[in-house]
Amino acid sequence: MSWTHEYLLYDPDAGNRPELTGLVSDFQRFSIHDGPGIRTIVFLKGCPLHCAWCANPESISPRPEIMLISHNCIGCGKCIDVCPAKCFGASDRIVCAIDRDSCLLPECGKCQRVCYANAVNISGRYLTVEEVMEVVMRDREFYDRTGGGITFSGGEPFAQPVFLLELARTAKVLKLHTAVETCGYVSWNIFNSVLEYLDIVLFDLKHMDPAMHLQGTGVDNQMILENAKRVDASGKPIRIRLPLIPGFNDSEENIRATAGFIASFSNLEALDILPYHRMGEPKWGQLHQDYKLHDVAPHGKDRVLELADIARSFGIEVTVGG
Amino acid sequence: MATKIDVTNLPGPTPRMEAIKKRFINTTPEICVERAQLITESYKETEDLPTHLRRAKAFEKILNGMTVFIADDELIVGNQCTKPRSAPVYPEFSCKWLEAELDRLEKRAGDVFLISEEKKKILRDLFPYWDKKTSNELATSLMTDDALAAQGAGVFTVGNYYFNGVGHISVDYAKVLAQGLNGIIAEAKAELAKVDPTNPDDLKKMHFLHAVIISNEAVIAFARRFAAEADKLAASEKNGQRKAELQEISRICQKVPAQPASSFWEAVQSFWFIQLVLQLESNGHSISPMRFDQYMYPYLQMDKGITAEKAQELLDLLYIKFSEINKVRDEGSTKAFGGYPMFQNLIVGGVDSEGEDATNDLSFMCLQATANAKLYQPSISIRVHSNTPADLYRKAAEVSRVGLGMPAYYNDRFIIPALLSRGLTREDARDYGIIGCVEPQVAGKTEGWHDAAFFNMSKVLELALNDGVDALTGKQLGPKTGALDTFTSFDDVMKAYKTQMEYFVKLLVISDNAVDIAHGQRTPLPFLSSLVDDCMVKGKSLQEGGAHYNFTGPQGVGVGNVGDSLTALKKLVFEDKAITLAELKKGLATNFEGVDMESMRQMLLNRAPKYGNDNEYADTIAHEGALIYCREVEKYSNPRGGRFQPGLYPVSANVPLGTVVGASADGRKSGTPLADGVSPVSGVDQSGPTASVRSVARLDHVIASNGTLLNMKFHPNALKDDRGIQNLVGVTETFFNGGGTHIQYNVIARDTLLDAQQHPDNYQGMVVRVAGYSAFFTALDKAIQNDIIARTEQMF
Ligand code: SF4
Ligand code: SF4
Repeated sequence: MSWTHEYLLYDPDAGNRPELTGLVSDFQRFSIHDGPGIRTIVFLKGCPLHCAWCANPESISPRPEIMLISHNCIGCGKCIDVCPAKCFGASDRIVCAIDRDSCLLPECGKCQRVCYANAVNISGRYLTVEEVMEVVMRDREFYDRTGGGITFSGGEPFAQPVFLLELARTAKVLKLHTAVETCGYVSWNIFNSVLEYLDIVLFDLKHMDPAMHLQGTGVDNQMILENAKRVDASGKPIRIRLPLIPGFNDSEENIRATAGFIASFSNLEALDILPYHRMGEPKWGQLHQDYKLHDVAPHGKDRVLELADIARSFGIEVTVGG
Repeated sequence: MATKIDVTNLPGPTPRMEAIKKRFINTTPEICVERAQLITESYKETEDLPTHLRRAKAFEKILNGMTVFIADDELIVGNQCTKPRSAPVYPEFSCKWLEAELDRLEKRAGDVFLISEEKKKILRDLFPYWDKKTSNELATSLMTDDALAAQGAGVFTVGNYYFNGVGHISVDYAKVLAQGLNGIIAEAKAELAKVDPTNPDDLKKMHFLHAVIISNEAVIAFARRFAAEADKLAASEKNGQRKAELQEISRICQKVPAQPASSFWEAVQSFWFIQLVLQLESNGHSISPMRFDQYMYPYLQMDKGITAEKAQELLDLLYIKFSEINKVRDEGSTKAFGGYPMFQNLIVGGVDSEGEDATNDLSFMCLQATANAKLYQPSISIRVHSNTPADLYRKAAEVSRVGLGMPAYYNDRFIIPALLSRGLTREDARDYGIIGCVEPQVAGKTEGWHDAAFFNMSKVLELALNDGVDALTGKQLGPKTGALDTFTSFDDVMKAYKTQMEYFVKLLVISDNAVDIAHGQRTPLPFLSSLVDDCMVKGKSLQEGGAHYNFTGPQGVGVGNVGDSLTALKKLVFEDKAITLAELKKGLATNFEGVDMESMRQMLLNRAPKYGNDNEYADTIAHEGALIYCREVEKYSNPRGGRFQPGLYPVSANVPLGTVVGASADGRKSGTPLADGVSPVSGVDQSGPTASVRSVARLDHVIASNGTLLNMKFHPNALKDDRGIQNLVGVTETFFNGGGTHIQYNVIARDTLLDAQQHPDNYQGMVVRVAGYSAFFTALDKAIQNDIIARTEQMF
């Protein structure tokens, strides 16, 4: 995590301020694969989908939550002493378990304050639009020189619609290039209200088959496909992103169906094939959740390129890695 | 030029070049004893002569007596030793360390040299002659006891020039190409005609000018030995094409460097002879070609017959020659200068003396040669200014992508004003190049003494927090500035730091000046001096103040650690009152032993803002910590009539200098490496490269006019397409616009490096940028390898 010093400590009262706040799980400055140029990604916490391969599992739940990095623990016992709900379990002084049901978050957060070793981390900060923009604006010069800007990601940014709208509107007032990374599972009214403040939409299509989509993500894909068409029809540039998950959506059939579906789009910039990687796995552990893809090996490069070529045969621009 | 050069599509490596490179890579460095033998003989013969003449006679003897050879298929000729990559021995500078380490050379962890028992014996037999005669021993006798004690404790090291020659020079190559050494000799003779030997200064001048003439004639004769060798080979050569090449080599070596060059090949060969013999005379590294694209371009333009392919091949072959130059250092120094580095810095682009863009075809070809040769020499650099052509920037970024850690990017917009503030004329400042790693100066006029010392700023802070007592030895090393728990405010801390700084910078100056005087007395270099203004006019060697501009540039190391330590103190002790001074004192004294102390260490590490994360609080303090060093250094003068000027880069000295610094208030454990250059402390630059760049730009680069250094390490993915190149340019430009002077990019993935550590055999040819230079990764000491790996990887 890359919290600047000001937001290092979780503040339980930050969400109760009179100003509008949103729940941000992280920032990533100097992102270069999520929209043009050098960008800052703002990760908004909370997502209506539940994908087993998620690389940012801490952004699924719409509430602050503890991420425990046990190998950072130095066994000082401070968190155990301070926790009013007696949530922590240790073995050999090293904290390794949390009773998440008893945890008082979003109130409290005491454990994180005393864990200097950053073993106890809390994902999620309630920030105002101004606070988010203060971080984002630091890299203004980089954006201006490279055609970059701000990317809203998550989680699902549209899951905090009012906050997202305000962020996007403010970003446009500040003349920033804006992008959103979305799973598309959001009512069109909401999507449309934000769309006018977006310069480009990065739109995930995880599976073309409704049943498979439901099985993999927990939701149906009908609204998603509809929204993709509507975004295209709105005239905004759209990039379709396909996280390529071995054994789930990597069949030639699905690639053809995806490419076929978007080949008729008039504002399609490209299809970005995002090869599966396991870099998110440790975070699942820190949340004490099962990573179900533990044994799934990433594709070989050749296979990814083959699939990209198949997609290309539909006459669309295809990139690997975004 | 007969054919127009398409700079966007330059020729790749030729089979000849690949074959020669392969031969080069498969050669293991050895120790060559020829030079040591020849100079010892000469010194024995000339004991009655004045020093300058002794030096010239010795130089002549070496050039006349050493083995010369022309290897198969070579077009550019000239060898430093009996074999490529071997290192000569320079006993007149120092030899006790070599005598002591002779048996370690093959066994040490990094920079291994082979040497036979027979050669060891030759050296052991000649070393006793040099006892008490070296520049090193004279320097020691000139130093004070407290200065020697501070060196012993690792507060600073003047080791490079103390034990070796100075090097760190760029001569007036343009003049040699245009006038030939005959022109230099004529100039010396003209000066000689003006001499009045009844005037005592002129008497010295006379000997110096005679030494100049002898040395220059020796170089001409040396080149002609290659002409003779080429003739001999041509006579027995069966292959008609090669025979013709050898005949051409013979013609060229007969002509240059004595006479002006009149083709590109002649110019390259003439340049190479100069570059080569400077090494043989001086025992210095960082002898830098600098603005090669500028002074060589006229010869490419005038060469009607040459094709782009031929010109590129000559350049590529020259780059292999650069890489053949080698130097043996003591084992301690290999930790600071790992990877057989010679730091021959070649810089392209930038503005001309009028301030206009100076880019030409050769600027592109020099970059291409780096991509073709994929070797670590020369260190290639590019000067960037407001009107740098987009194509050149792109070419540079393409070369960055090759993963050699080169080129390094330099910022005209801030370096030129920094040099103006040091007294250079506008024309000279605009004509700057880079010496060695990152040190700017103007060629042919400057004795910059750029690598005067590594000064351990972190050690000074350690002493300031410990009443002047060395935490590792318990000795009182500095003035008593009060125990840590007697301080009542952050100001007290800063005062103590300042007082210690004043004291140790003084000792540093004494040490540097002692070494400087010793070089002037024992090892003046007449040939080198003849190629730098105003030595001949003044009648003084470079080592005695003959140059037009004179500087001494010691480097401060540990900016990030000092900044983070002071920040943690200010924030956690004096503002938040989360830690008491007594607790901190205990933590530092015990190296944070025990859970309570470890908990405090974690607080120091994770609860104070850190330099390099775009946090103004921490960056301002780091700036202040560095400035105190810089301001102190600037106060002093050197024996050559010049000023001291500070720099802030460590080469890889941040690793060995870290071993002598006890636990520090930034949470760093005793003995672990310091931060690299002005880069943030490893692992704390978690906010990514844009944040690091903004932080580093906040440092005052203009005051550190001897150079600063920012290393950025990127995943290879980062530069995989045009967008990546655009982003690299964006980062460079933003940094430079904010005041940064130097940036370089390492684009090798962390996993690759880890694997290379495990399986060095698979990575023999892999070059990484270590600090101000590039080296074969597998040749590096494990600790330096680890440090490179630990630098926070900037993931894309
Ligand atoms: S406070 Fe942190 S370091 Fe200490 S026991 Fe708890 S988890 Fe471990
Ligand atoms: S947030 Fe509070 S209740 Fe939850 S684990 Fe931490 S200290 Fe316990």
